[in-house]
Formats: sequence, structure tokens, C-alpha cells
Amino acid sequence: MTIIIRYSAVACTVLFIGFLFLAVTENTSVSFVDSDEDCYACHEDKDLTADRDGKKVSMFIDKKKADASAHGGVECRDCHINYNPDDIPHTKSPAKVDCQSCHDDLKGIQQSVHAKVECAGCHKPHEIKTVKQMKESGNDECYDCHNRKGVKQFTNSIHDKNGVKCEDCHKAGHGIVKVNKSNEQAVCGKCHSKSKMALANSVHSTAMSQTGGRGPTCTDCHGSHAILSSKISIESEGCLKCHLNEKMFPGEEKGSAKFVSRYKTSVHASITKNDVEAAGCVDCHGDHMVHEADNPQASTLRARQMETCGKCHSDVVSKFRRSKHGQELANGNKDAPTCTDCHGEHDIKSTFSANELSKINLVDKCLNCHKDGKITHKTYLGEEELITGYKESEHYKALQEGNLNAPTCSDCHGAHEMENAASVDSKLSKRNLAKTCGQANCHGKELDEYVGSIHETGITIKGNYDSPTCNDCHGNHVISKKDIDDKLEKSKGVIRMCSNCHASLEIIERNDLPTKIFESYKESFHGLATRGGMQEAANCESCHGNHNIRPSTDSLSTVFKSNLPQTCGNCHPGATQAFFTTKIHIEDARKDSPFVYVVTVFYITLIIGLIGFMLLHNILDYRRKIQLKKSDGI
Amino acid sequence: MTKNERIQHFLLLSSFIVLVITGFALKFPEAWWVRMLSAAIGENAFEARGLVHRIASVVMIAASLYHLYYVSFTPRGRQLIKDFFPAKSDVSDFKNAMKYLIGRSDDRPLYGRFSYIEKMEYWAVVWGTVIMGATGFVLWFKDFFFGVVGNVGMDIATAIHYYEAILASLAIVVWHFYFVFLNPDVRPMNKAWLSGFLTREEMEHEHPLELQKLAGEIPDKKENIKS
Repeated sequence: MTIIIRYSAVACTVLFIGFLFLAVTENTSVSFVDSDEDCYACHEDKDLTADRDGKKVSMFIDKKKADASAHGGVECRDCHINYNPDDIPHTKSPAKVDCQSCHDDLKGIQQSVHAKVECAGCHKPHEIKTVKQMKESGNDECYDCHNRKGVKQFTNSIHDKNGVKCEDCHKAGHGIVKVNKSNEQAVCGKCHSKSKMALANSVHSTAMSQTGGRGPTCTDCHGSHAILSSKISIESEGCLKCHLNEKMFPGEEKGSAKFVSRYKTSVHASITKNDVEAAGCVDCHGDHMVHEADNPQASTLRARQMETCGKCHSDVVSKFRRSKHGQELANGNKDAPTCTDCHGEHDIKSTFSANELSKINLVDKCLNCHKDGKITHKTYLGEEELITGYKESEHYKALQEGNLNAPTCSDCHGAHEMENAASVDSKLSKRNLAKTCGQANCHGKELDEYVGSIHETGITIKGNYDSPTCNDCHGNHVISKKDIDDKLEKSKGVIRMCSNCHASLEIIERNDLPTKIFESYKESFHGLATRGGMQEAANCESCHGNHNIRPSTDSLSTVFKSNLPQTCGNCHPGATQAFFTTKIHIEDARKDSPFVYVVTVFYITLIIGLIGFMLLHNILDYRRKIQLKKSDGI
Repeated sequence: MTKNERIQHFLLLSSFIVLVITGFALKFPEAWWVRMLSAAIGENAFEARGLVHRIASVVMIAASLYHLYYVSFTPRGRQLIKDFFPAKSDVSDFKNAMKYLIGRSDDRPLYGRFSYIEKMEYWAVVWGTVIMGATGFVLWFKDFFFGVVGNVGMDIATAIHYYEAILASLAIVVWHFYFVFLNPDVRPMNKAWLSGFLTREEMEHEHPLELQKLAGEIPDKKENIKS
């Protein structure tokens, strides 16, 4: 490059001299100066001044500098023609120095923004710099004129720090260009090609073409000369400059200024990280390739939210991905919920402050989709009807009364890890449910009692899923208090509940349970009394307890032999001396209670024999008496 | 039957009927008549049932104790129990009655004051009252007796009380009601338990020996004779 310039400079000089020679010989202009020495005789004097429009102007020319400049070999008269050294001033109307008389090939200067700028505006007349020198002096030449504050901010910009010069954007030499909306992308794209490509695919680019060039481009977000390090300079404010403008984005719909303005009160904006918002616009929407939310490429597209939100919230998102919700979403189920469905969009709040996610509102949020029958429950047929039943549960009532310890959907089902109860890892699986219900602050006491019970060990040790856990007795969503006022109804409820299994042939057979538990209870005084409507007769729970049900062989059991007097004594205060020699729930009378068996056989024989005799006696007596009457009658 | 005896009989029959109803109401709580009764009585039907059963049992036991006094210390009572005691003649009467009933013989045994049938009924009531009273007492004071007889004792008492109740009720319905209501001689009812009297005709037919015995003391003309 420099060789070419140098070569052309030499060529120019040769042409110039040739031209001068022609001029002199043709005598079209006359010079009175023989050599530069004549000029410097006066102009080397530092005190030489002249009067220009009433002002004193220095006429001093530093010969050393002039000789060292690019015009070193050029003589004074080459530029200053028609000067008479004897005339002071040299001419009455000095001809302007015409650079183009030599430099007639300055490309593009006429089209450039500098077309009307004099050469001297950039090139100091007697100290003309070489192209190389011009480059070295950098932006200073520009600042001489372009000293507005806006431009000066360039010195603080990231571009300046990284050695970017004016000419890198505005072009070098004489073809200086203005950078504006129409060429910005091309200019910035020279270095930022990826961003340029991304921008070209963005909604901003679409807006640009739809509005005839009024859409946002590089500097609208990044600023021009004052460009700072990429993130900070454009963080949210850059976006919100336009997106909060209600004239540009009217209405209340998605995308409106009002919609976007909710971001200001969101947890993303109100919590700061390194002095900036915890999450700014670009963190979710991306930067150059920003899209409308329904664009398949948008980072905020429903299906891609797991990825986008997961950039920061990786732990919860990884749980969500494994959840039923996440799986359905990944499978392209359009109804599956994604992050924003629960958390909101711009107005995203932390779970502690969010109304949307407050324990009580969450219920409606979930029921929105899980209303009766809307989503078929795969494991429990008919169960979906019970989901709305949650609203009648004690849990919901407690929430309504302001007890924030009461569980809402997510407390049992998990929030992000929400899984089918059938899944082994689910908080609601047979193995885990008791731990879920018994979590701290909830039913810890009941859990302590339940652990070790025959029902609990049946599940955890034997892996028998016929064995009941919390919900098998208490129900799922419609969990109601068991201490209802009507003791009889409560009692009957308990009996019904236990008999669900203990009177079910299928379950009894499969688990080798005693066969006549329910039957023998029904025929006992306790059972008869309950059937007959007695308010306080003992039911299953009265003797066996509830959570801590253990077999009678377990010394911790309420029905362990030595504990029975105390257990019976709960209702029969006088029965503390009671002793037990035979089974209570008699399976086979002959084996379990031989005395009763003997009595029964004795009486049944007696009844059949005696009453049979009486009947026979009656019949014979009747026959005889009728016979007698007839004969009497005759 | 004197008024005193009729009152005794009335106390026995009324307490018996109440005991039968309130007793079986416990054992068969879903029977239609139990449900009707419960509905009629209302909320505490079950508790009321238990209370009435106990009151009736007290009435019956009191009547029984009075009867014990009656047959021990009053002349008429002592005669009554004497007449109720089984005698040798009862065995032959029974044999002859059987022969007559199956048609082997046309001679109907002649009974005194009480036939073997009536004696059996009487002693059945005595036996039943003792058994039911004893087991009922154990069940009533269950908390105390639990400590004495244990759960097996309670179970036995329960079983006896139940089967004895069935036996007693059936005996009354099958035998006693037959003789009092259905038997062709007295249809529709033998009114002696209300009036206290049998007619001479009835006496001749049912208790000829007693009639002869009485005839020795009382003039023939009297139409109605105290049995």
C-alpha cells in the first residue's frame, strides 16, 4: 500500500515538475521567485506578521518542519504562484493555493461529507503529513473539528480502548462517510458480523423493513460514540427507551408498553446483581436475535423457556425437566405448562411476594388445568373429580383462615419436581408419601407414630403396596378432619375404611390376613352397638389405635396381651383387671374358643330337639283334637 | 288363678315380651322391625333399648323373687309348687299321651291340676329365668365380671344368653301360644289368664282329676271352678 502511495507521489511530483516546465516555457504564468531561499529570507523570521482583516497573523514558516513534511521536496512557488517578492504583501489578491492542481485524483472527496472542507482543515499547510503519519496521529485530527461532547465521549468508549479509530467506522482518507440508520448495520457488521447476521433475523429487522427504515438498529440500543462495554451499555434501559413508549407500543396486550412496564416491579428488576438488574431484557430475550415470543426461534418460546430460564435457574429447571409437566412440554404437548404459565412473564415475582403463586392462589392456578376430568388422571380412575375436592379439605380451609403452614398443591406434589404419584421418586409415591405428609411443621407426630406400624413396615420392609399409607385412609385431596362431632358417623366411617381392606376377599387372600376380623367385629357387642346406632361403641380405632397399628404379638401394640387391660380401660374404667385367655376376633370357634363352641353346639342341639318335639306334639295334638271334635259333632 | 297369680303372670309376660323385643333388637339391628322402632324412638334408640331391657329384667327378677316368696311362704303358693312338682304319674301320663297322640290308643290320659305339659312349661320358665338372670347380670356388670371371668367367661355368658333367649322365645311361641291360642279346644283364646277361671266343661276336658278333687269340697251346682 505504502509503496503504491509512494510511487504515485513520485509520479505526481514528476508530472508536476513536467507541468511546471511546460507552464514556464509556455509562459502562461510568471514567477518571480527563484528559490525557496528567497522566501525563507523573510519567512524564517519568527516575528514576521501580516495584517489580515485587521488581525495580526504570524507569517513564520518553520523550514525544518516544512522540509521534513510530505511536501519536503516541493518548493514554495509550486503552491504559491504569482507571488512577487518585492511587493509587500506579495499580491493584492493572493490566489488560493490549489492543491488539486497536483492532487487531482482525490477519490470521493466530492461525495464525502468533507466535500466542502478545505484541505487545510485537515492538512496543516506547511507541515503536510504522510499517509502513515496521518494514521499515527489518529483521531486527534478529527477532534480538532469534531469536538462536540457526544463525539468526545468516544474517548471513554470500549471502541477507543480497543484501538478502534474514527476511520474504522467513518472510512479513511478523503471518502469520509456519515454513519446513519441506513448504513449502520453494514458499518458495524464489518467487525461484528455475527451480531449483524443475528440482527438481520430479528424482529427488530422486521420492524425496520415494515416501518421503512425507522426500526431500531445498532446505535439505537448501543449508542454511537459513547458505546460502552457491550452488556452495560444496552442493559434494559436501551430496550426500555422504546418499549416503554406507549405511543410506539399501545394497548395492554402482550408486547404493549404497559405489558413491558410490569418488568420494573418484577423480581428480576428489583433484585440486583453486580449493580445491575438480576435479569435484564437480553438475559431472557437474547440480544441481536430478539424475536417475538411466538416465533419458533424465540428464546421465550414456550418450549424453549426451560433452556432460557435454566441459564440462571438450572437447579429448578433440571427438576422441572424430569417432571411430568416438563416431559409433556418436551414432547410438544401444547397444554403442558411452562415457566411463565405459573410465574408470569414480565411481572415475574418471587414465590414469597407473588400473588400469583401465593399458596392460596396457586390452587386456582393448578385447577385451571386440573379441573374435573379436564386432564385424565392415569393412575386413579375417577380421581380427577377429587382434585377440586381439595377446596373442601381441611388443608384449604386452613389456608383460607390464613394459616400459611397449611399445604397447597406444591407442598405435596412438589413445585418443579411435580411427578405422577406412580413414579417412584414422586413425593406422593407409596414409599414417600408418609414422609411428605410428615414433613417438619406438618404431621411429624403422626409420622413418628406411623413409622414401625404394621402398615408402614408392610410398605417399607416388605414392599407390599397393598399396605396403606396416609392417603389410603385419609383420602387424597378431600382430606377432612377425623374428629367430626357425630361420633357414630365417625365410627361407621372408620369401620368402613378398615373393612375396605380387612373385609376384602381379594386383599385378605393376597396378603394372608385373618379372614373373620370384620365379621367377628360385626357380631360382637361393639359391632352390634355400632350397627344399632350407639354413639360411643368401640370401633377398630378404639382398640387398635390409628397410625400406630401393630400386630398383637408386638409388645408396643395396644392389643398386646399385657396392654389390653389399659386399652379396654379407656372405655371401661372398671375393666383394668380384665384378663384375656382367648382370641377376641374369633376365626374358628372350635380352636380359638372351645368353651363357647361347646355351649353353642349344646344349645343348638337343645333348640332343635326341644322345639322339634314341641312342634310335633302340637301337630299331633291338633290332629287328635280335630278328630275328637268331628266325632263329638256326629 | 287368684288376682295375685294373674298379676304375677302379667308381670312375667309383659317383662318377657319387652325383654324379647329389646334383646333381639340388639342382635338384629338391621331387621325391619328394629329399624322401625329405632326410627320411632329417635336418636338415642339404642341407649333406650338397653335401658328398657334392664328395667324389664329388673321387673322379671322382682316378680321371680316374689314368686319364690309366694311358693315358699303362702299356703296357696306352697300348694301351687307342690302341684307343679313332677310326680310318677307324669311319666305314665306322658307315655299314655304319646300313645294317644300317635293313635295307638283312644284313651286320653286324665290330668290333675297340671298336666306334664304345663309342668314342663313351668320348670322351663324357672330354668330360663335363672340362666338368663345370671348371664344377663354378668353382661350388665361387664366391667366387674371381666376381671372375674375373663374374656372367655364373657363370651360364654354372651353365647348362653343369646341361645337361651332363642330357646325360651321359641318355646313360648311354639308351645305356650299353641295351648293358649291355637289349640282347637280354646280357639281363639283361653281366657283363664285374664279371668282366673276355667269352665266346668273345660275342667272336665283338661283337668278331670282336679275337678273330682274339687267336687269333693265344692257343691256341684257351682258352674265355674277355680283352677
